[in-house]
Amino acid sequence: MGAMVVKQPQPVTIAFDVMGTDHGPAEVVRGAAQLSLDSPHIHALLVGDRTLIDNALAETKHNGERISVQHAADFVGMDEKPGEALARKPNASVAVAARLVAEGEAQALVSAGNTGAGVLACARHFQLIPGVRRAALATVYPTRSVRGAKEDPFSLILDVGATVEATADDLVTFAVMGSQYARIISRNERPKVALLSNGIEPQKGPPRVVEAHARLSEMKDINFIGNVEGIDIPKGTADVIVTDGFTGNVCLKMLEGVHETVVELAQYAYKESLRWRAGLAMLSSGIQRIKDITDWNQYGGAPILGFDRIFIKAHGRSKARAIANAGKVAAKVVANNLGSSIREGLQK
Amino acid sequence: MSLPDRIDPRPPRRIYRWDLDKTYLQTDFDSLKDLLRTAFQKAHEKVAIPGASALIRELSENGDSRLCIVSGSPKQMRAVLEEKLKLDGVRWDEFVLKDNIGNLLRGRFRALRGQVGYKLPAILESRVKAPAEAEEVLFGDDAEADAFIYSLFADLIAGRVDERVLSQVLEAGGVYPDDAERVRAAWKQIPVADPVRRIFIHLDKLTPPAHFTAYGPRVVPIFNYFQAALVLLADGHLSAPQVLKIAVEMVQTAGHNIITLSNSFQDLLRRGLPLQQAAVALSQALEGPNKLLAAMRPMPDILAAFSKRLVALGTPPPPPPVQAVDYVSLIHHALPRNHKGRTKP
Repeated sequence: MGAMVVKQPQPVTIAFDVMGTDHGPAEVVRGAAQLSLDSPHIHALLVGDRTLIDNALAETKHNGERISVQHAADFVGMDEKPGEALARKPNASVAVAARLVAEGEAQALVSAGNTGAGVLACARHFQLIPGVRRAALATVYPTRSVRGAKEDPFSLILDVGATVEATADDLVTFAVMGSQYARIISRNERPKVALLSNGIEPQKGPPRVVEAHARLSEMKDINFIGNVEGIDIPKGTADVIVTDGFTGNVCLKMLEGVHETVVELAQYAYKESLRWRAGLAMLSSGIQRIKDITDWNQYGGAPILGFDRIFIKAHGRSKARAIANAGKVAAKVVANNLGSSIREGLQK
Repeated sequence: MSLPDRIDPRPPRRIYRWDLDKTYLQTDFDSLKDLLRTAFQKAHEKVAIPGASALIRELSENGDSRLCIVSGSPKQMRAVLEEKLKLDGVRWDEFVLKDNIGNLLRGRFRALRGQVGYKLPAILESRVKAPAEAEEVLFGDDAEADAFIYSLFADLIAGRVDERVLSQVLEAGGVYPDDAERVRAAWKQIPVADPVRRIFIHLDKLTPPAHFTAYGPRVVPIFNYFQAALVLLADGHLSAPQVLKIAVEMVQTAGHNIITLSNSFQDLLRRGLPLQQAAVALSQALEGPNKLLAAMRPMPDILAAFSKRLVALGTPPPPPPVQAVDYVSLIHHALPRNHKGRTKP
């Protein structure tokens, strides 16, 4: 009997925009350092202020064979207007990182910095996939149900802000892109795709949603389950929820607001009454378990879909673990050739 | 000490001192199971760290050097270790192993795990026999106390450490009085000179490089032996074709590639090592009479990647400053790994 051959993953280089995050460059460097220890096939290209990067690396356990640095003197801050900032700072770290990905020095970009600047840098350096008119910014949200071989508790929502006014064509494209992404990341062969509307009936919603519904219903390769309402987002009724950037962004902010309010209410209850505190203490292991399962740090980041190169946007508050996981998500997307999958999906 | 593997009557111009476990050999003895497996491994089962044997062979090619090995492995492993070195084509001049049975029988339990009381007298006694002008390059790892012991050795023979500091270090390091006496006796016989050029620390445990900053730029932590070869090229111990041979072996036998080697190069540049000329020399070596090497893909691509890595940094950082080493405050680095006085890197 011949020896079993273990297939080694192909080496992949991920460019990390190190600057402009809420926790500073050291946290991104620590995430990339962790990645260099955990994932031998992933090489991190750290883009940002060389001195800051080197100082952080020198203090962090890492594998120097799997990390390189590209100096970029400027960066776009969280509060800056993306267009103006990138015009003023052409060598901002996110722009340099996007250029390196476009030139093939890395296969994907991860940034926890200014989202608008990231999208704009990608738009300037990457090409849209043929058949894609507008890119979509996706995000993940923890839900009540799990999906795919990974039992992933996160569903994908797109677009949450890249394309404010989407046409029916755009919504269909977003559905194909989201479906292909979920298939790869959640190891979910037939992800359930839905349109966000104000009712589940096919004729509900504005004309663009009604038209997109009709077209998606006829696409055999998409597991389209029809319309869902806002209430279905946290329930996890669909694995991929498609909407325009305006509505998606409103939904996202509302979901974040609800989450923050629930946490504040729990804190209030904890302080207010001894009985409530005891109750919360009794539930603490369950609460912790839910927190672990739905911890967005575990997911790492969400993609900008539609470009010929990969961009994973990590949360601005990402710490090392989330950054490392964002790198792993990016490597997985590259290894599974998401761009080709989307191209093929759009041709069907 | 056993008979040398070779007898070369010429006085050496250079001495290369090597540790074995985790420096030359991939050794795992962090658990009792690993320790037992290591103890019963046959020579052909032992694995050298990629590039280590190629580096030793290339250094010895120059014909004016000595290879002195001081290992913490017990004397009972001599036969298997010697066989392994011979399998790898490594020829040595001195090979010292630790007398752990002797220590056990004499009830010297501190000496079983202690490094200072074993390695420091061993390398000082070896230096007594060397010509005063012979340069030294030392190779160790981050598992125990090599950076501390090798630096102390260098500064003792250079006259930068006095008797008072030495006594404090020997006492704090738990060195037995007879070993301390051996240290002093050997030290007094060595003429004052400053022969130690480099101390390479193989980062087997991936200790953060900043852990070694206190030892100054003489100590170079390395992730692999290609990095050591690059520094030795810049220091004039190796030629560019020799470094290329080491790189080719690492690519062909250990899965290194254009990314790992160019990242290794840039890692050293970022730590202030002046390797720009070394990169130029490597490129020239491919253009010259070593066309055979040029044919060995992917070396030309790897060297092109070096240029990109160099440009990526903008202005390379200046070399780190030379500084006096405060051995008394660093003594915790020299204590056994699970000693209560040792702080984690």
